[in-house]
Amino acid sequence: METFVSFLGGFGALLSWEVLGFMVAGFLIGTFFGAMPGLTSVLAIALLLPITYTIDVVPALVMCASIFMAGMYSGSITATTINIPGAPSSMMTAVEGNALMLKGHGANALGHAALGSMIGGSIGAILLMAFMPLAAELALLIRTPGKFSLVLFALVVIIIVDKGAIAKGIVATALGIMLATVGIDVLQPIPRFEFGTELLVEGIGLMPVVIGAFAVSELLVQAQNWNLSLEDTLERAKALKIRRRDFIPPWSEVRAIGFFTYIKSAIMGYAIGILPGAGGSMAAFVAYADAKRSSKKPEEYGHGSREGIAAAESANNSMCGGAFVPMLMFGIPGDPTTAIVLGVLIINGLQPGPRLLEQQADLIAPMFASLFVSALILIPLTLFLFGPYFIRIVSIPRGLLYSSIAVVALVGSYVATYSIFQMFLALMFGVLAFFLRKHNYSVVAMLLGFILGPDLEQYLRRSLSFSDGNPIVFLTSLDSLAFLVLTVVFAYLILRKKPKFDSTS
Amino acid sequence: MNNVERFRRSAVQFPVFLLILTTIYLAEALSIRSQFGGDTIVGPRFMPILIAIIMYVALVVVLVGEWRQDAKASASGSLIRPLLVVVATGIYIAVFRPLGYVPATLSFVVALFLIFDFERRRPAFFAFYVIAVTAIFYGLFAGIFGVRLPPMLGGF
Repeated sequence: METFVSFLGGFGALLSWEVLGFMVAGFLIGTFFGAMPGLTSVLAIALLLPITYTIDVVPALVMCASIFMAGMYSGSITATTINIPGAPSSMMTAVEGNALMLKGHGANALGHAALGSMIGGSIGAILLMAFMPLAAELALLIRTPGKFSLVLFALVVIIIVDKGAIAKGIVATALGIMLATVGIDVLQPIPRFEFGTELLVEGIGLMPVVIGAFAVSELLVQAQNWNLSLEDTLERAKALKIRRRDFIPPWSEVRAIGFFTYIKSAIMGYAIGILPGAGGSMAAFVAYADAKRSSKKPEEYGHGSREGIAAAESANNSMCGGAFVPMLMFGIPGDPTTAIVLGVLIINGLQPGPRLLEQQADLIAPMFASLFVSALILIPLTLFLFGPYFIRIVSIPRGLLYSSIAVVALVGSYVATYSIFQMFLALMFGVLAFFLRKHNYSVVAMLLGFILGPDLEQYLRRSLSFSDGNPIVFLTSLDSLAFLVLTVVFAYLILRKKPKFDSTS
Repeated sequence: MNNVERFRRSAVQFPVFLLILTTIYLAEALSIRSQFGGDTIVGPRFMPILIAIIMYVALVVVLVGEWRQDAKASASGSLIRPLLVVVATGIYIAVFRPLGYVPATLSFVVALFLIFDFERRRPAFFAFYVIAVTAIFYGLFAGIFGVRLPPMLGGF
């Protein structure tokens, strides 16, 4: 209860002009990146990661949280208006929202998407604040073998979630772990894989990997697909007149959807967010499928179901809250955005774990408050103020946009350490990630392998050294056994289901 | 499709490249010596060797799968434009410090605008946007966030 009260104190931090300014700026940046097809909130946070070196940790985390929430919501804008999801998590919204748009109810669809995002995002933030103390208590019970099995569980889930390409998932994850082994060993003061150069003795930083994997590779992917044109779709969308009052969903429609649908979808989204590697796409997909299964009007699905939009958007925004739980408690990011937020924490000398809640709750509480305020206030406010102009976002010339992104990405990778070598690394990882994406290897799996690799190695070697090299310790330690059983159960549940889900799409 | 054609596909060449990379990695891993306690199972080369073995197995599975796949399924766009972006970026990084932020970034943005076919027919707009992009991000990094960017020709 005490911790929950200290979380509420985070709202006070938002009253500072500096923090508030970063939250609003982050939300607007996230909305832009989320709405623009090809750009994502992950890319926005990746580009802003170098800037977090120069600002305080509280505004940096507050900004990350608002970008995360905005990016999750704003994918629904282009999904509805031009049937191109701004973010992968808005695929289900594209199906229903664009069908409503074609019937002349585009503003109404955007309103339902915003309402679902608002309710889901708020519930996710409340659940995050409510259950973090409990998660911290549980985290204290886990010992070294259990920590190894937990990290292994996370990596296995990340790999098998894309069940169409498990071998490629293993390759991408192993590649990330291999990159993480470069530099000083995790237990002994000896350099590994430095290949005779001093530049690699300290290892590879998160910054060039993130900028390469998300910014440079995106630039190369866009360069390859340059001839794809949105002009016809844009012309059609521009002809539509959207009035502000149409954004407010009628009470009768909200009642028809039912608050139970919003709450159930939000809880599902939150729970899926806790799972490593699942992300907003899966949250939206599962909640949408469940809403359709239990709907009184299943025939509307695929032809403009407001209930479908509400379920998908509630779930993907609620996922934002859930994704922070494993990252803050165990240092295990649930998705790429929280992986980069983990980088922000580490850059600022904060170590994830139960002690973070005990000793530095004042630093992370504003981030939780930012999630809540972004969902409850900024989503409807942004829709009301900028909704009629949303469609113009996609009219920005792509040549100008991607050239600007290239400059920000490269200069950003320089400013963090003033190192030209970091810029070269960013380019190298960008090319690598480009080929990974081109051949359907998960870049997210590579990033999470890179982040979790040192923990995996450290806990494995520590556990084995305590037990004189006997691996049976992972079965005799109850917490470890529990996570290994969980891994098997999840593998069974994910792999046995018929519908194929592609997390990389 | 014969075997040579199959091998020419980048979907096959990429895992082969990763196989070579893994072999270099494994060779280096085998040369790691523990500082104390000997090269036991918990030594510094244990994890790299384990990961390299896992990588080999996974890459063989991927290779077999890609080898069997139809070439039409992996058809994709030209690599010329991404290659030009990589070359321009490589040159930008190489001249970033010797030339300084302003000249290097101006040239880089010109190169990217040409590659992305942006405002090529309107030279005045082209020049305006090149200067605007360079100036805006100078203002963002140096002005707002106080970052020290490389000065022009290493001087002022």
